[in-house]
Amino acid sequence: MSLLTVKGVSKSFGKLEILKQVDLDVQPEERHVIIGPNGAGKTTLFNCITGVLPIDAGQVVMDGHDLTSLPPYQRAKHGLSRTFQKNNLFLELTVEKNVALAVLSRKGYRHNMFRPLESYSDVFEEAHQLLDEWGLLDRKDLLVNQLSYGEQRLLEILLALALKPRLLLLDEPTSGMSPAETQQTIQFIRRLPRSVALLVVEHDMDVVFAIADRITVLHHGQVFASGTPEEVKGNAQVTEIYFGGGALKDA
Amino acid sequence: MSLSLAAAQILTGLTFGMLYFLIAVGLSIILGVMNVVNLAHGSMFVLGAYMAYSFIGTGLNFWTALILSLIISGVIGAIIERVLLTRAYGKPLEQALLTFGLAFVMADVMKWIWGTSLYRINTPTLFNFSIDLGTVSFPAYRLFIVVVGIIIAIILWYMESKTRIGAIVRAGVDDREMVSALGINVRAVFTGVFVFGAVIAALGGVLGGPVLGMYPGLDFSVLVTSLIVVVIGGLGSWKGSFVAAIMVGLIETIGNIWFPALSMFLIFLVMILVLMIKPSGLFGRGEIT
Amino acid sequence: MKKTALYALLLLVITLILPLFLSSYGIFLTTEIYIMAVFAMSLGLIMGYAGLVSLGHAAFFGIGAYTVAILGDYVGNTYVLLICAILLSALIAFISGYFFIRVSQFYFLMITLAFGQLLYALIWQLKPITGGADGRSVSPVLNFGWGNLLDPVHIYYVTAVLFVLVYFILRLFVHSPLGQTIKGVMENESRMKMLGYNADAYKLVAYTFSGAVAGVAGAIYAYYNVFVSPELVAWLFSGQVLVMVIVGGMGTLLGPAVGAGFFVLLQNYMSTYTERWMLIMGIIFIFFVIVGRGGLIHLVMAIWERIKPGHKRSAKKEINQSESGGIT
Repeated sequence: MSLLTVKGVSKSFGKLEILKQVDLDVQPEERHVIIGPNGAGKTTLFNCITGVLPIDAGQVVMDGHDLTSLPPYQRAKHGLSRTFQKNNLFLELTVEKNVALAVLSRKGYRHNMFRPLESYSDVFEEAHQLLDEWGLLDRKDLLVNQLSYGEQRLLEILLALALKPRLLLLDEPTSGMSPAETQQTIQFIRRLPRSVALLVVEHDMDVVFAIADRITVLHHGQVFASGTPEEVKGNAQVTEIYFGGGALKDA
Repeated sequence: MSLSLAAAQILTGLTFGMLYFLIAVGLSIILGVMNVVNLAHGSMFVLGAYMAYSFIGTGLNFWTALILSLIISGVIGAIIERVLLTRAYGKPLEQALLTFGLAFVMADVMKWIWGTSLYRINTPTLFNFSIDLGTVSFPAYRLFIVVVGIIIAIILWYMESKTRIGAIVRAGVDDREMVSALGINVRAVFTGVFVFGAVIAALGGVLGGPVLGMYPGLDFSVLVTSLIVVVIGGLGSWKGSFVAAIMVGLIETIGNIWFPALSMFLIFLVMILVLMIKPSGLFGRGEIT
Repeated sequence: MKKTALYALLLLVITLILPLFLSSYGIFLTTEIYIMAVFAMSLGLIMGYAGLVSLGHAAFFGIGAYTVAILGDYVGNTYVLLICAILLSALIAFISGYFFIRVSQFYFLMITLAFGQLLYALIWQLKPITGGADGRSVSPVLNFGWGNLLDPVHIYYVTAVLFVLVYFILRLFVHSPLGQTIKGVMENESRMKMLGYNADAYKLVAYTFSGAVAGVAGAIYAYYNVFVSPELVAWLFSGQVLVMVIVGGMGTLLGPAVGAGFFVLLQNYMSTYTERWMLIMGIIFIFFVIVGRGGLIHLVMAIWERIKPGHKRSAKKEINQSESGGIT
């Protein structure tokens, strides 16, 4: 059974149809990448899956649970977690506190109001471990707005990961990163345990082919093609509309 | 209730509705274009009325006093915008707090100058007669207020949909960045809009002078009423303010007949209902943040 | 940590012996400062830690005060009256907050102002119960089980204890997982939702809690002043407490309390010289909005840092905290 099933999802803004009857699924352990030209509706699709935007028609089902009418915070409880295309962090809090807030979300004592958060060492141990794995431990006492852009980008993924999701949605994880940072991020993503399925929107084809088990091409709000990286590469139409004109890298 | 009495009540409701429209429309436009909640708006309203009262006291007639009062209010509006609000552009909450502090200052200055007694501007002689409605009569001046309100609404409609200024302001509401990209001086537009809001508020104050009078505390009750009108009508939509103001005026007047103690409560209830059904207000285009 | 305890002890001793050195007017004034400090801290909580700026917070202070005044005609027990005041103000904060919090910040500002005025009008019109515009006297007397507390010095100690108690409860609250979560919602609501937090519910918790604290301040005020009037819920009073928070320093717990002290003292001092108190207050308020988000506490901390080099870190931390709690 698929982990995530998106069935016939449509979304319009006024007269502008952004998504038209999109069908999509993510299998357990799968690393599924969505590509498509700008304006294809990729981020809108993410917003519809996570519940930020209500959908006009269709269904979002996670592991047998219909999420369609649930608010974002309840979808998170079903193991759905996401990053944002533009960094969306707690800029005025320390790096450590950022991760701690994410870890805390899973804890039963998160509603306790008579003990300092600092006294719950397990939250911080977990946070430190995660920061360590992602090479940010030495940054833990800095405010987020003191981090470099690339570091913030990593933290963006780390926060989503701290929820221990079953499905992680990454919205252009490497956008704006330097080539070195991009390479590092690819390694980090590849190292993620297979128990976390991935749904990734990405523009950088090096990244796409480095991580994808399956690629879905979104075009004008519709699923244009879907298949293994080889199949998609070999699809003449995809090459024409998407890879054509030598614009492989910055399409 | 006889038919003519009902007609008189509805006319009274309309009068107050139009007054509320004149009060709220400036607030609404300033909010829509500049993203500023002007909490000194009620103060501008009362100040306009006080000034006109004093001008009339020096022997000027109502209309001259009205125009003088509007001009001075406009100048004060320009000063407030240039001196105070520019310091907090892009920080809407701080701008709101600044105007709140200003409301304190203005309330005290007005108390200083005009004291704490209740004043009333005399009805201009031109409209100082009543219209016979069978068993009851209706003051002509109130009808005049209704007409002015409708004229202002028509002018706004014309400016918004037919003129270049309207296009700029409309774009300012929808897309600030685009307006500045077009090379339009957003600052000048903002000052202009704020001045316009101040002048309209003063117009409401002077025209309302013979009906509401002036006294300390009126500034805030006026502010609260206009906030409610704007919330019901929808942020930044003057059409919403128009409809909501008439609604509030009618509800208040009719509520005063049936449940005199609870008319304020009734209006508040309407506001809560509107927020529950349509959180962005009747004519709101969604939330401005 | 040890030093903090030392300062706390020092403060406690000063609080205890202060009445010995104060005139009866001084005691009266200090008592008022404690009450206003509690009230200001309640507004400071939602403004600085939940990002909710209310222009009608006096509503909850007034509900607490009127509960003691009205219910006090039938019930004498101080505990019962205080608990009723707290519960009622919390309940009304919860119900009103349920409707108000879902909307944007602008709406919240406007609706809380309107709500305060609504309550004002209601008290004005329910004359048989509330005394209407004339206000009404408060008959019950403070009694915690060891005799009636009528002496101003007794009431001084009651309010001092209340202030310290509320401060420590709020301190626990803002540092607890719940308080930190609420702060997270203020810092970045959309992210918190994605992290599985029901943002509106957390804001509502803060608002309800704040309403309850304002209510208890109002309840004690009723005992202290033995008279309540509609002015307790009027916009002017809501505005005054907002001024205390902004002037004292938002985003810290003690800032609003410092603001309350500054405000009450200045008001009393000024009113002997001039009637233009509101004008002066408005100008001070505008000044602090334009110049400093950190408020007075920021200034005090900066000076403290100068004098005490050893405390550089903690002072800086406080300031950082106050900055991060700025209006956003």
